[in-house]
Amino acid sequence: MLAGATVIFLATSLALAGAFIPSIRPLLTPKRLILWGGLVVPSLGLTALVAGAFTLGERLLPRQGAETLRIEVVARQFAWEFRYPGTPVATRDVLHIPVGRDIDFAVTSEDVIHSFWIPRLGGKIDAIPGHKNIVRLRADAPGTYGGICAEYCGEGHAPMRFIVIAHAPEDYEAALTSEAAR
Amino acid sequence: MIDATSGRKILLLSLAAGFGLWAVAFVALYAMLSIGCAFGWDRGSLVLGLSLQRLQLLLLLGIFLALHVALVVGLSARQQRSDTATDRFLHSAARLAAIAALAASMFTYCGTVLLTTCNP
Ligand SMILES: [Cu+2]
Repeated sequence: MLAGATVIFLATSLALAGAFIPSIRPLLTPKRLILWGGLVVPSLGLTALVAGAFTLGERLLPRQGAETLRIEVVARQFAWEFRYPGTPVATRDVLHIPVGRDIDFAVTSEDVIHSFWIPRLGGKIDAIPGHKNIVRLRADAPGTYGGICAEYCGEGHAPMRFIVIAHAPEDYEAALTSEAAR
Repeated sequence: MIDATSGRKILLLSLAAGFGLWAVAFVALYAMLSIGCAFGWDRGSLVLGLSLQRLQLLLLLGIFLALHVALVVGLSARQQRSDTATDRFLHSAARLAAIAALAASMFTYCGTVLLTTCNP
């Protein structure tokens, strides 16, 4: 990102310098400006961005694998419930996740449309009644992250928040066990 | 008979023809992608290991690319028959826009060939 920004900055500076330094001006013929500034550079930039987005998009698809973990998310006015398949644990407004692992969140709602969003971990996804949407997220560093409802859902929408605790793998099991004991 | 003014109105519209076609292709591909996913057309293979979903999307893309080429060819043919300078300019602008739209369609819809179509 920094490298790309530097290149664009330098190119724009060169074009601007042409306004002040007459000796540069002959280099900046309209044909060159249109060909390079209007066609070659944007095409290269867009191709790189599209290729990046395509490969990243394929990697983010929630394919069932041994490595991925699945957590079920149920939204309702005005709280979040998290269920951890394979365990009897269900937590309210607190989400436990292990660090460094892809997690597929299967998100649904019991009443109106909500939206599940942990801004620091990536994109949001709608929680729709009668429908399961899946979003794949991953926390790379342990810690606490904030989560919110990102779709207006009624009077209690604004405070409809939850806390995400990302544990080291061994602490994750312990956290679920202690939740189960509650 | 088309008089000069109405003929030029059609010419003006033809400036947008290429990218209009691009937009129609976008809506059509998006709609058919969603319909295919809803009906589970991506499961199993029909011919040569390709699913019904992939085949119908490729067919649709093929039709739109052919329409794009036809538009470029049609505008090129009409360009040669234009008499005034204004008409020549409009024709050549419309033709170049149609060529850009063909390139844009190939670029933006190339994912149809490669990418996973539905959420697994
Ligand atoms: Cu909500």
